[in-house]
Amino acid sequence: MQFRFEKRAEPSRTMLYVTPVAAVLLTMVLGAIIFTIIGYDGIGAVREIFFTPLTNSLKWQDLAVKAAPPLIIGGGLSIGYRANVWNIGAEGQYIVGGLAATGVALLTQDMSGWWILPLMGIAGIAGGMAYVAVPAFLRVRLKVNEILTTLMLTYVAVNILNYLVFGPWKSPTSFGQPQTVAFNDSQSLPYIIEGTIVQAGAPIAIIVALVAWFVMSRTMFGFQVTTVGAAPKAAAYAGFSANKTILAVLFISGGLAGLAGMLEAAGPFGRMVPQFPSNYGFTAIIVAFLGRLHPIGVLFAGVVLAITFVGGEVAQTTIALPNPAVGIFQAMMLFLLLAGDVLVRYRIVRAGATGGREAI
Amino acid sequence: MSGETQARLEMAGITKRFPGVLANDDVSFAIKPGEIHALLGENGAGKSTLVKMIYGIMRPDAGEMFWNGAPLKASSPKAARRLGIGMVFQHFSLFEALTVLENIALGMDGGLSSRALEAKVREVLNAYELSLDPHRVVSTLSVGERQRIEIVRALLLNPKLLIMDEPTSVLTPQEVTQLFKTLRQLASEGCSILYISHKLNEIKELCDTATILRGGRVVDECDPKQETSKSMAEKMIGGDLKAVAKGTERTFGEVQLAVNNLSLGRGHAFGTALKDISFSVHGGEILGIAGVAGNGQNELLAALSGEQHAEADGVIELCGRPIGTSEPSTRRKAGLCAVPEERHGHAAVPDYSLADNGILTARHRRELVRAGLIKNSASHDFADEIIAEFGVMATGSKATAGSLSGGNLQKFIMGREILQTPEVLVISQPTWGVDAGAAAFIHQALVDMAAAGSAIVIISQDLDELLALSDTLSVINEGKLSAPMAVENASIEEIGLLMGGVHGEPSLATKPEASHAVQV
Repeated sequence: MQFRFEKRAEPSRTMLYVTPVAAVLLTMVLGAIIFTIIGYDGIGAVREIFFTPLTNSLKWQDLAVKAAPPLIIGGGLSIGYRANVWNIGAEGQYIVGGLAATGVALLTQDMSGWWILPLMGIAGIAGGMAYVAVPAFLRVRLKVNEILTTLMLTYVAVNILNYLVFGPWKSPTSFGQPQTVAFNDSQSLPYIIEGTIVQAGAPIAIIVALVAWFVMSRTMFGFQVTTVGAAPKAAAYAGFSANKTILAVLFISGGLAGLAGMLEAAGPFGRMVPQFPSNYGFTAIIVAFLGRLHPIGVLFAGVVLAITFVGGEVAQTTIALPNPAVGIFQAMMLFLLLAGDVLVRYRIVRAGATGGREAI
Repeated sequence: MSGETQARLEMAGITKRFPGVLANDDVSFAIKPGEIHALLGENGAGKSTLVKMIYGIMRPDAGEMFWNGAPLKASSPKAARRLGIGMVFQHFSLFEALTVLENIALGMDGGLSSRALEAKVREVLNAYELSLDPHRVVSTLSVGERQRIEIVRALLLNPKLLIMDEPTSVLTPQEVTQLFKTLRQLASEGCSILYISHKLNEIKELCDTATILRGGRVVDECDPKQETSKSMAEKMIGGDLKAVAKGTERTFGEVQLAVNNLSLGRGHAFGTALKDISFSVHGGEILGIAGVAGNGQNELLAALSGEQHAEADGVIELCGRPIGTSEPSTRRKAGLCAVPEERHGHAAVPDYSLADNGILTARHRRELVRAGLIKNSASHDFADEIIAEFGVMATGSKATAGSLSGGNLQKFIMGREILQTPEVLVISQPTWGVDAGAAAFIHQALVDMAAAGSAIVIISQDLDELLALSDTLSVINEGKLSAPMAVENASIEEIGLLMGGVHGEPSLATKPEASHAVQV
């Protein structure tokens, strides 16, 4: 029996929502098979990675902590991706945002006051924006593809980070450890729920998602961004400047990545260390796509990805699954989602079938 | 053509279904050897689908096709060509940077040395008195010459049936005359021709038989020479055709749009530069700009809409106000609305709802946005208003633009601009690919709008349309605009020559060689 693709008259809204869910479910099935074949407890791996973080209430606060950064970054990326602007170097902007916030912290080491944290936040946002400004201007002035420049600058950021923590920023009291001094109380995020490790990142992530949703669905700016992405010629005809839109969405995504960097530095890390780049910037790409570039969808996707992060740690201790396994699961999810996307615009029909009866 | 001969091609009960549409419903007709057979119908009547099945691109769901009496089983265009079925598509597939000969070589199924191929090409060119230099680069050729490449390609295969899909939509009247001569010669040699068109005059002039399709069904088969254009049009649309009612006493107001020495470089490698274009349009006046596609029409529209800026502000004046370097939104606010030729992805976003497509251009003049926020109900009301006033067939303001048929989307776009009551409306190809009923509606709306005092510029390749609507007519060729002429005094020969590239005062244009110009 042969099958072929047939274009749908209209993109399927059902498939738009079904495919992300299907991608996650299929990832579990394929993941279980693959890890069984290579000699691990495949079913156990899926259970620990995808379900234990949900069933074990002790893990919920970990979810909130792990979900926040990819959510904040993914919210920004999804706006840019709507405009067909592919910033895939959010990891670099996240690092530079964290570094900028650290810089403020080091300058205010002996000070205290409520104003230090907001200042670090502003520095983080500014750092992320400044770092994306390079690809942004290369793109609008010289039409340099932002996919390459943003990605390459990520590796530059890692080296800047290493230079600083191994060099000028190294704490004098760290016994040679490459790390900065610990942030003081005025430089650290408060715990918002007593007795947990949940800091300000989680509520900020929710606020970012809600604001992004409002901007994208109700404002002229959101309309402009979507139009530039959906039909560049129509956007020019409507009077929307493509270059201004590209700059705006790059600065938004860079700024939010920088903010996430500040929240991580001033939150879970509490100082700057070489382990600071934790691939949140890359995970956020999966979050943006899994969430269908819709701010509320991103919210759900961020939680799913956080589950895999937390679950990965669980699986490491309970069934000795190596940590990179989580990356395989995450990549599989993105891969299956993108592959499944074809079903939004096409349907599968049996070759020779006439009507839509046997269509999927 | 005796009625007794074996049909070259016979279609018997052909049915083809697409999701949600019955494209062809029990279609039957036959083409005799040497017959020029018209396939006539509106957009979406099923002409293209039918032809694609003959040419092996698609297969029918039901029914049979016979080729010289034997079942036709063309599973691919290549197989169809082997049988002797040639096709000239409406949109050419040519490489602009290659020569004529290289393009022909690329399209050949069998390998042939370039010397042998050139000899064969020259043979065909001589036999049919086609003027075409095999060594010219395609980008330097006119549209008519490009079409000749496609015809030569088809003729090299000694076709027994030649399918021509809307061949004259981009030709000047003189080129049409030349094409018809070639087709008649071919037919006299026994080649059957299936001629697809919605231009009734041409079908009357050229074709022996016409099969009229409507909604996928054959509604009539007739001898076009025995019919009038009106009677065929009515069969085609299945109703009465209303002529455009244009007031006889037309008075013009002040100049509302003035273009002074507009020159623009070519936007991309195969674009056309605009050279020193000047014209003015008064309130109540309709200026028609004729011309063969690709002579600067799109560039002119972009310069007027604001997508391209002129060199100086004063180059374009709207009611006396310089706007040559203003953004599109500024121009719209000031009263200039424009509609580009391409509807999908330029004049409208296919994935957007009609309400959102309304916001695209009408957000300022219709106040659909306040303080950066979209007024949701106002934008849906506006879309509903367009749907109601312009008779757009759509499920409502939430329907996507892409779900509308070409004619309905065009009605929506026209409604969107006209309901903004701009002082100046510039529109490219207002009825391109639009069915006759919708075209008549759009024409009337434009005439009414001019009567209400707007200045209108219509850029079109359809001369009939321009002659029916315009008060004044200019021709654009290679980025230059001819001096305007009053439509009453315009002669088809002169316009045709200007379209073909003879510049200067219309009265100085050299005498046309073609004595039998196309009737309009």
